[in-house]
Amino acid sequence: MTSIAAHSSIADVAAQDLIIRVRGLRKKYGTLEAVQGIDFEVQQGEVFGIIGPDGAGKTTTFQILSGVMEATGGDIQVLGKAPRDARLGIGYLTQRFSLYLDLSLEENLRYSAGLREVPEDLFLERSRKYLKLMDLDKFPKRLAGQLSGGMKQKLALCCALIAQPKVLLLDEPTTGVDPVSRREFWDVLATLADEGVTMVVATPYLDEAERCDRIALIYGGQLQQIGTPDQLRAGLGLHRLEVRTEAIEDAERALTTPQGTDSSIIDVQTFGDRLDVLVKDIQTGEAQIRLLLDKSPLDGQPGSPVHISRTEPTLENVFVTHLRQQGSDPPFIPFPRIYPRENNQGEMAIYAQDLSKKFGDFQAVKDVDLEIHYGEIYGLLGANGAGKTTTIKMLCGLLERSAGAIILAGQTSNLRSAELRKRMGYMSQKFTLYDDLTILQNLEFYCGVYGVPRHARRAKIDWVLETCGLTGQENMLTGQLPGGWKQRVAFGASVMHEPKILFLDEPTSGVDPLARRQFWRLIEDFAHNGTAVLVTTHYLEEAEHCHQMSFMASGETVAKGSPSQIKAQQPGQLIEVGLAETQVASNLLKTKFDPWRVSIFADYLHVVLDRPDQQISELKSILQAAAIEIRSIRTIPFSLEDAFIGTISRALESQTGGAP
Amino acid sequence: MDIKFFEQLFESCFWALALKEVRQIFRNKQLLFLLTFPPTVQLCIFGFALSPDVRHLKLGIIDDSRTEISRELVAALTENQVFIAQTYPANPKALGEEVRRGKVDVGLIIPHDFQRTLKRGRPIEVQVLVDGVNAYTAGVASNYVNQIVNQYGYQLVARPQGANIVPQIVYLYNPGLISSWFFVPGVMGMLLTMVSVLASAVEVVKEKDAGTLEQLLMTPASVLEILLAKVAPLFFLLMGDVFLSLGVARFVFAMPFRGNLPLFLALSGLQIFIGISLGILLATVSRSKQQAILTSFFITLPMVILSGALAPIESMPPFFQTLSLFNPLRHYITIVRALMLKDVGVSVLWPQILALAIFAFVFMSFSSYRFRAQAQ
Repeated sequence: MTSIAAHSSIADVAAQDLIIRVRGLRKKYGTLEAVQGIDFEVQQGEVFGIIGPDGAGKTTTFQILSGVMEATGGDIQVLGKAPRDARLGIGYLTQRFSLYLDLSLEENLRYSAGLREVPEDLFLERSRKYLKLMDLDKFPKRLAGQLSGGMKQKLALCCALIAQPKVLLLDEPTTGVDPVSRREFWDVLATLADEGVTMVVATPYLDEAERCDRIALIYGGQLQQIGTPDQLRAGLGLHRLEVRTEAIEDAERALTTPQGTDSSIIDVQTFGDRLDVLVKDIQTGEAQIRLLLDKSPLDGQPGSPVHISRTEPTLENVFVTHLRQQGSDPPFIPFPRIYPRENNQGEMAIYAQDLSKKFGDFQAVKDVDLEIHYGEIYGLLGANGAGKTTTIKMLCGLLERSAGAIILAGQTSNLRSAELRKRMGYMSQKFTLYDDLTILQNLEFYCGVYGVPRHARRAKIDWVLETCGLTGQENMLTGQLPGGWKQRVAFGASVMHEPKILFLDEPTSGVDPLARRQFWRLIEDFAHNGTAVLVTTHYLEEAEHCHQMSFMASGETVAKGSPSQIKAQQPGQLIEVGLAETQVASNLLKTKFDPWRVSIFADYLHVVLDRPDQQISELKSILQAAAIEIRSIRTIPFSLEDAFIGTISRALESQTGGAP
Repeated sequence: MDIKFFEQLFESCFWALALKEVRQIFRNKQLLFLLTFPPTVQLCIFGFALSPDVRHLKLGIIDDSRTEISRELVAALTENQVFIAQTYPANPKALGEEVRRGKVDVGLIIPHDFQRTLKRGRPIEVQVLVDGVNAYTAGVASNYVNQIVNQYGYQLVARPQGANIVPQIVYLYNPGLISSWFFVPGVMGMLLTMVSVLASAVEVVKEKDAGTLEQLLMTPASVLEILLAKVAPLFFLLMGDVFLSLGVARFVFAMPFRGNLPLFLALSGLQIFIGISLGILLATVSRSKQQAILTSFFITLPMVILSGALAPIESMPPFFQTLSLFNPLRHYITIVRALMLKDVGVSVLWPQILALAIFAFVFMSFSSYRFRAQAQ
């Protein structure tokens, strides 16, 4: 264990401030040791983050802390008791929404309160308070099943809070939640932390993890690192250079070609439209990058401008670097193709015009136009409940459209024919594997049902297993796989028949950062080979891989274009403010500017200003008045996530009052 | 029928679907248990426990006569175990109280002049109090008392008036009048229907429950293939149940099988087919496994009650007798009884066979229509 945090400082803390104490926690499932002895402590009012790749043992740890499951070994104390006895003081939020979807908001709350024997007057007081805090107080009678993903998760949090637990255990609460709602959710968590609630949070979003007081990096059932985000970042001992160029793939290739041992470049990571290059020394590193990029022509455009800015590593850099050093970077294995590549580049694969869907009075999708060519990756992005999934379901014929026209692979009618389906792949939001079959049996099934020729099946199945790192474990029951791994197998299962049109509905939701990168290499590989891909995601940085995209809000398209076009459409100027107390500063600035203009990105604030010349000084004075120290302040280009937050928030703002 | 056919079969969607179902079924210990254990046990329980013979009725006796003849009457009542002399209360009031409390089922009061009156050749009345709460038992008990007392009376008094007509009854097909021979075929039909409805409903709704149905509908497999692949393995398993219950009937209840076995199997297949169709229909209207299971009881229980499996159809009110004609199980049970106990064939059973075939066709068409409609 390479612990950076000074353990002695924790030992000094008075025993009554210790909310959680874990010593030598072990858990075995049969012969598999999921957690192999971890120790940590969480103090009163702390937000403690747990990060790690899929299958690291995070969910197991949560289940033991919450008293749902017994540990195989170790001493675990929550609130000074065994977890089972402390359950009344613990609120637990699982990965899947723990709500009754056929009950209303109010009934769900009342049920949770009843279970924990909350008196009526306290129940009324608290439900009013928390519903208001979560912005859910407008429709107490609405059924939980009708809420969007982000709202469901907020309601689940309300339910967990109704008994006023001293400890909140949150296992990936924002998986599948859009960037806007995700930030709202964390704002709520910050408020709760201020009230003294202790929290343990797991998250696959590392920019969220930056908002924790301390973080533990778990890998392979062991605690690898523990400390504050600053300590973890400093522990890396590296500097970060942001490289921005038009030809990002060429630049990545140029920088990743192996250099000598004296090379300053340690790691190169793609983040959307930029490369993060981690270097030992900032000066020589930058010089080396410039040299390498000058040597290799970028996309045949000599002199294509390269911007390099010097910053410090993010938590995601720490995570990726650490796991790569462990050798757990999933491999890229070329897909064994059996069909020749069709010469269909530029032909229309998916076309939709004025596509609309009404469920009763509710307009789920309104006048959506799409044009997707073969070889193109098209991103359909939007807030939860914006109608993305409904659109995909209409396109692939699972749902009847109310109005509009669809052309799929040149066909206008008979969109459900077996011939057409053989050319299509679909991966839905839910896991679509059979839990009661083994991994191998699932893959054999999808091979068979999509008519992959028998002689080619072995190669395809082996490819999926190798890509997922599951070779040798193919006879494991699929139900036993951790969520992120199931997602990888499900992706494999949906592409084995070499579809020409591929629908991917949140394929990377709940998948760890390294595996997400692998997913996108595979998606790009399919596009290079002529497949048209329609994909939805809540990770905006990976949406940069899309060639074309549209943003949806409340069923309508609100922005459209290539990633660079969309970023160029953004009004105003984006300012990045580096400061220590992002949460306090964000709360403060939201009262002075439009709330959508301010968002937290890791340990920075992003502020959109229309008149930066005057407003920057205004911003500085506001922060100075509150005695918040500014570490750095600079103008940066819009990332897709900034563009998304701005576009969606503005669209929703103009619709408020009309919300259903 | 050459290798090519098999090659095509193994390449087909249907094969992949069916193989998947078989693998899921064999991993589903609960389903395998449901298909084997309860039918065996229930068949035994129903076969042994369900018996219309009423025995060991508790008899309370007030013998005011205290004579040889009155004791003989009591002996006649109790000798074949139909009645057991339970109590000897002091007076009619006490006897009435015992009947009220259920301490005895039947009370018998023999008057003090019993022997004297009989000796004079005059009729005498004995009073019988019957607990009428359980109407069926009460009816049987009073019949027994009547019969036994009458027979005893005939023995005592040689009847002067002419010869009685004494019927000589020959019981055909079930000469020992073994009641389990009536019940076992009924219970067989009942179990087969209940299990097939339940198993198919659960198997079909499971896919919807887990969200995999959507993924399945996106594959090139047609809705009919999906449905057929679900039905086929279940069908074979349920046919196994037919053999299982035949085995229990043969070896536990020593029932004969006199009819045509292939015909019996074919018609059982038809009944299973009906059960599966009903199950699929149920699955299309249910959202979850629990819902499907609960709803299946709503359907199967009335079917069983109106089928003649447990009580003769002839004992039902005319309206329900007519209604039962629309119950496939009624026809199937008629067929099972006929085929097991009598050696009759299609020439006799054709109305029932025709009815089953019509039901199978209608139910399957409707449920596959519903399944397709729901899938789109």
